[in-house]
Amino acid sequence: MTPKIQRFLFRKFKESEIKLHLLNYLFWECTTRCNLNCLHCGSDCSRKSTFQDMPVADFLNALDTIKNPARNFTVVFTGGEPLLRKDIEWCGREIRKRGMRWSLVTNGHLYDLQRHISLLNAGLGALTISLDGLKESHNWLRNSHNSYDKVIQAIEIAAGSGRLNFDIVTCVNQKNLNELGRMKDWLISKKVKAWRLFTIIPIGRAMNNPELMLTDIQFVELMDFIVESRKNKEIDVSFSCEGYVGRYETKVRDTFFFCRAGINIGSVLIDGSISACPNIDRSFSQGNIYKDNFYEVWQTEFEPFRNRKWTKTGPCKTCAHYKDCQGNGFHNWHGEKNNVLVCHAEKIEKAKQISIPG
Amino acid sequence: MKRQWIRNILGGLTFTTALFVFQACYGTPQDFGFDLLVEGQVKSMNTGLPIKGIKVSVADNMQYEITDKEGCFSFYTELMEILTLHFEDIDSVQNGAYVSKDTVLNNTNEPVYLEINLEEK
Repeated sequence: MTPKIQRFLFRKFKESEIKLHLLNYLFWECTTRCNLNCLHCGSDCSRKSTFQDMPVADFLNALDTIKNPARNFTVVFTGGEPLLRKDIEWCGREIRKRGMRWSLVTNGHLYDLQRHISLLNAGLGALTISLDGLKESHNWLRNSHNSYDKVIQAIEIAAGSGRLNFDIVTCVNQKNLNELGRMKDWLISKKVKAWRLFTIIPIGRAMNNPELMLTDIQFVELMDFIVESRKNKEIDVSFSCEGYVGRYETKVRDTFFFCRAGINIGSVLIDGSISACPNIDRSFSQGNIYKDNFYEVWQTEFEPFRNRKWTKTGPCKTCAHYKDCQGNGFHNWHGEKNNVLVCHAEKIEKAKQISIPG
Repeated sequence: MKRQWIRNILGGLTFTTALFVFQACYGTPQDFGFDLLVEGQVKSMNTGLPIKGIKVSVADNMQYEITDKEGCFSFYTELMEILTLHFEDIDSVQNGAYVSKDTVLNNTNEPVYLEINLEEK
């Protein structure tokens, strides 16, 4: 099958996914408290949060509105730092009682052996831990002198579990780009099976820190690193689903780009807002669990997520990639929403022009 | 139902079932649920009363739980062909003194409820 036909069929597949909009991945922003103060935090979380943690019962009430949840329906606990909550395990058990699954995104600071066992006992099924470089650059990004040591310990504990579907995520920036090879070797030595690489988009605290953003040339270096690493089967290295990457599509991840925010991915945010991924501009919220029926909102709202024609504006209006990209990852639309924050395909094209002058 | 068929055909033609397995940018991988719920109650063989403080652990695995005041325990653990559970009195004579016991479960993939009786030392 030629790539052109594959792309055509994939577009049709996306259309059918949008029509079905089967909810099978639900973020719960259970706290905005955090034990770190990272330079790149998109949520702008801190030790002192203006929001109270959402009571478990309120979240479960929203969950109970879901009729016939999808087979692999997973609740993803996120924050802030979810492990600051003492009732995660209790909530996890309640989720499992409902025939659903749950998982956790953590910075690893509170993930010690005792907590690992108690989370597994409560039916934790998947886990993501952030590692953002070798010691110095990780601690720099995490704005903490001892974050690295704690995360390393957490990774060693989690990687020892045969039960967890576990991966590491790394926010690639100017400081850690050249460390990726050594990080990969270390992860393989610890028997980590999967590693996802991100870039940082200029939102939250990251907005005013140029060191966090990759130049166009550096972005292509990252793509090339992933392509090369994917030849090694010891660890599954991939680029996150954050954006469409032009000629690197299917070379840096298993499938073509498909932003499933609002199509298969929903969220309940700290104030009860109903949306998709938590890093999406909050003005896209589609309702609130404290006044709306969550599942009704999922079924009947989400128009801007399921019909993205409104993103055909600014540079996207005339872009040749639009059919496959459709405005890039949804989290790239903030503020006035009249321009995509980051265009990965453009970065790749620009880098090509720089490396082949004239 | 018709839409599901179309989706499966298109997904299959385009690539593989990997299309149906995804994770959000800042989320975790999906969970495929290869685990087992083990619950039960531990009682004294002599008195029939529940025993608090018994360590229920899984062989070849770091997981364990301690029975509560009703002698109850409940945890999810990795699905294994042969699952060996070890019941051990770890609090000396605080809640009585009991002989340890092992229980083996074979090819179990449904939730299990166990009633365990421990002999007094």
